[in-house]
Amino acid sequence: MNERRRSLLDPEVLAKLATLKLRARAVAEGVLSGLHKSPQHGQSVEFAEHKEYAPGDDVRRIDWKAYGKFDKYYVKRFEQETNLRAWLVVDSSGSMGFRGDERRLGKLEYASALAASLAYVLVRQQDAAGLVVVDREVVRSVAPRAAATHLGALVDTLAALEPRGGTRLGAAVDFLVERAPRRSSVIVFSDLLDPDDGVLRALAQLRRRKHEVTIFHVLDPAEIDFPYEDPTLFLSMEDARQIEAQGRDVRKGYLEVFGRWLGEVRRRAAEADLDYVLCPTDRPLDEVLVPFLARRERSAA
Amino acid sequence: MRLTFLNPALLWGLLAALLPVLVHLFYRRRPKPLAFPAIDFILKARRETQRRLRLKKVLLFAARTALLAAVALAILRPRLGAPEAAAAAAPAGPSATAIVLDVSASMRYRLSGRTLFERAREDALDALDGLGSEEPATAVVCGGPEAPSAAPPSFDKAAVRRALREAEPTFGHADLTACVTAAARALSESAAGAVLGKKLVVATDLTAAAWRLDAPPPMAQTPAGAVRPEVTLLDAARGASLPNTAVAAVAAEPDPAVGPRGFRVTATLAGYGDRPLHDLPVELRVGAGKEAATAIRAFAEVPARGTAKKTLSYDFRAGGPAAIAVALPPDALPDDDVQWLALEVPREVRALVVDGSPSPVKHRDEAFFVEAALASAASPVRPKVIDAEALPGARFADYDVVFLLDVRSLGAKAAELESFVEKGGGLFLSMGEEVDPDRYDAELARLLPAPLHVVKTAAQRGAPGAAERAARFSDIAWDHPIFSIFTGQAREGLESVRTWRYMLLKPAERVKGGEARERVLLRYDDGSPALVEGLRGRGRVLLYASTVDREWTDWTIRTSFLPAMQRFAAWLAGGLEERRDAPTVVYASRPLAAGEGQRIAALVGPDGRDRTPPRPARGGRASFVPDRPGLWQVKVEEAGAVRLDPRLAFAVLPDPRESDTTRLDPSELTAWFGGAVHAKVAGDRPAGGEGRSVPLWSLLLALAVAAFLAEGLLVA
Repeated sequence: MNERRRSLLDPEVLAKLATLKLRARAVAEGVLSGLHKSPQHGQSVEFAEHKEYAPGDDVRRIDWKAYGKFDKYYVKRFEQETNLRAWLVVDSSGSMGFRGDERRLGKLEYASALAASLAYVLVRQQDAAGLVVVDREVVRSVAPRAAATHLGALVDTLAALEPRGGTRLGAAVDFLVERAPRRSSVIVFSDLLDPDDGVLRALAQLRRRKHEVTIFHVLDPAEIDFPYEDPTLFLSMEDARQIEAQGRDVRKGYLEVFGRWLGEVRRRAAEADLDYVLCPTDRPLDEVLVPFLARRERSAA
Repeated sequence: MRLTFLNPALLWGLLAALLPVLVHLFYRRRPKPLAFPAIDFILKARRETQRRLRLKKVLLFAARTALLAAVALAILRPRLGAPEAAAAAAPAGPSATAIVLDVSASMRYRLSGRTLFERAREDALDALDGLGSEEPATAVVCGGPEAPSAAPPSFDKAAVRRALREAEPTFGHADLTACVTAAARALSESAAGAVLGKKLVVATDLTAAAWRLDAPPPMAQTPAGAVRPEVTLLDAARGASLPNTAVAAVAAEPDPAVGPRGFRVTATLAGYGDRPLHDLPVELRVGAGKEAATAIRAFAEVPARGTAKKTLSYDFRAGGPAAIAVALPPDALPDDDVQWLALEVPREVRALVVDGSPSPVKHRDEAFFVEAALASAASPVRPKVIDAEALPGARFADYDVVFLLDVRSLGAKAAELESFVEKGGGLFLSMGEEVDPDRYDAELARLLPAPLHVVKTAAQRGAPGAAERAARFSDIAWDHPIFSIFTGQAREGLESVRTWRYMLLKPAERVKGGEARERVLLRYDDGSPALVEGLRGRGRVLLYASTVDREWTDWTIRTSFLPAMQRFAAWLAGGLEERRDAPTVVYASRPLAAGEGQRIAALVGPDGRDRTPPRPARGGRASFVPDRPGLWQVKVEEAGAVRLDPRLAFAVLPDPRESDTTRLDPSELTAWFGGAVHAKVAGDRPAGGEGRSVPLWSLLLALAVAAFLAEGLLVA
């Protein structure tokens, strides 16, 4: 990847791109140009089920053999077989609205850009991409599809997200358990700041259902480094809590506690065989996506 | 311990210690609100580190405050020293200095083998040596008979040093208040140091008796007005207490119960220590010079800071002048452990009692009561009683006193009697039925203090109401040596005497060319003389207007009769006035008078050295100022021979104020001088230097560095 293209993928550069669509395209193109081979394997139509004919159905789909046997009109329903059915789970809780530096993307913006880019890549590769937006509950969902026209709906949904409310990723897990009966790829974009300590256990539940779970742990560098020195009134982004503290006084303790938590998240993700990717919002998106897609390609091969 | 500062004016610098607080308050900003997602971690971190942070914050504040306070204090140059050794900081710049050296008797106190005076002189010399070449000095030697005076300070330090070196401790009292006032006056008169600071250095033992703190403190006059001089007190005792025991007073009174020459010696013992003294040995010494010997050894209990009286009784072997001393074991101040007293022991009086109305019935005998009174066990009088018929055979010259009791006539013996009295003999005359007034007036005209007139009967004895009408004594000359012993209730014994008959006397007629002097010592309540004293030549005459038996009066059975008769005998023999003057205090002028035909050749002090006698003043009397306490003896030259005359020996007392070694609280004294700003007490160090107090600024700077490092560590 030449330097010019690389610079375009810098989050600060992307932050200047007005729309998510542009960001996603820029990222996807960059990503695709970096991949050696498309994971695409061709397209096929697979019978799914019979449905009794109803007016308005395509008469070309009538199964005449079935008519011979049952003397009724049945319409054949087909399902498009794709390489991957991916659910993009985006956390849109209040804490995702944090932006430590005005020049960078906010966490939700960064997660949305990642999700849109991934959707772009997936759809380009004939994979189906769906979307689940969750805060305290699933606030929006888009069923996975591989059609190119579906991409616009996904991006528009992501672009319209506003951070708000608390976090309960378990709601998304519940949603997916119900709606994703087939083996799917579940890709979570969240800061994992969930008051429920069992969020990783819930995600592990998906893994046990043969879904491939990947966690893109989106964090702002300010959350990782805690660069505050002055007296600050820290306000919670999800509830009414607040605390006044001298930044330099609590920094050391914060970093210790935060480090312990991060280590715990990593350890639990590894134990549950969850793919975990730490995504500071100052990290170029292609650096996040390319290793992920390459890993997926290798596993598919 | 006491903290002092070399630069107290910079104390305001300590306000710098408030800077951390002020900075904290001034720069305390309102917290900037920030929406932050991971607030849970901040809360958790704060919970875990809150206590540590609070401690750190307190330590940080403390370190910063300590840093600034230590630096500010170090600039003040503080010193730490004992109260007595409070830093005697030299006044800024050179000063005219007056050094006051206490040479009073209390400075003879020995402490650790050296007298306080030796220490004080050394301190004073050190103080002088510590002065700069640009600082004039003078010395005031305080104590002794002379009033304190000081020359204005001069640059002739050698003269000041010589004055201090030649100073010797005296036995006198030091009025240090007067001395420092004189020193301040000298500083005021200093032409050389008019523009210099004024400094007083006082080397003393800080005994309270030497100071009068109710007087105004010394002030030195300067061109800018009166100022308080900087005072440095050099404590010769180095803060030690000075316990002392002293014989505060000795008094001796005749005590007939002890013997004819018995005396009761009462010594007042004073303890100036914090502990009572038990079984303190007390000695009564009798005799002067080589003849002195311990007569009585006893023990006394002396309370702490109080006095006790110890009475010792002693019967002298012979009458005449005597010297006694009460002595305690020598202590650190031995000069007041012995006190002398010169006294006159009554001599034996030979009395001839002529009984003019003898009787075989004893109590009716005219001389019975007189003889009984004179011959009692404790009486120094040895009476010989003869009847009036035996009078021609008697030889008056063999006696000191003649008692004529109701004697009708003397006849040819009148002239001898007159001669006897003129030469110093004593004559007592009492009346009675036998006395013929006209014959008496004729025969004893030159002797009688007053001519006899007629017998008066105030009341008929035994008649109803006689007791009320009887004459009583009045106008008694209590101040006369005869009656001075009657005090208090004892006077009742005289005032209750009832007299029924008595001789009326005519007014005394002066004999031409004679030196007759008469005095009525007793009167009856009608104004008639009852007892008249007459001086004839060197002799004395007492005329009693009634009888000395119970015929005319009941005095003979009154308690006052016996001592009165003995006093009559002693008075007539010249013994009563042979009392010594009260002892004088050292350095008090004492008159000296030699006897007839004598010349004072020398005075021998208690130390055994001869002193040149003082020259008589205009009135012919000489006075002498003794310079040490003890028994002083006088050598007289008489008929070409020089001898010690024991009659002239006299006792000199130590100054009781110097025995009181109670020390003054140094803070009282420094307060009197104007407080710690103007006065300091230096104890165990020579004055003028920096002393042995501990300088603290180096420690404070080390503390500041430590605080700085601690602050750095805490911040890091």
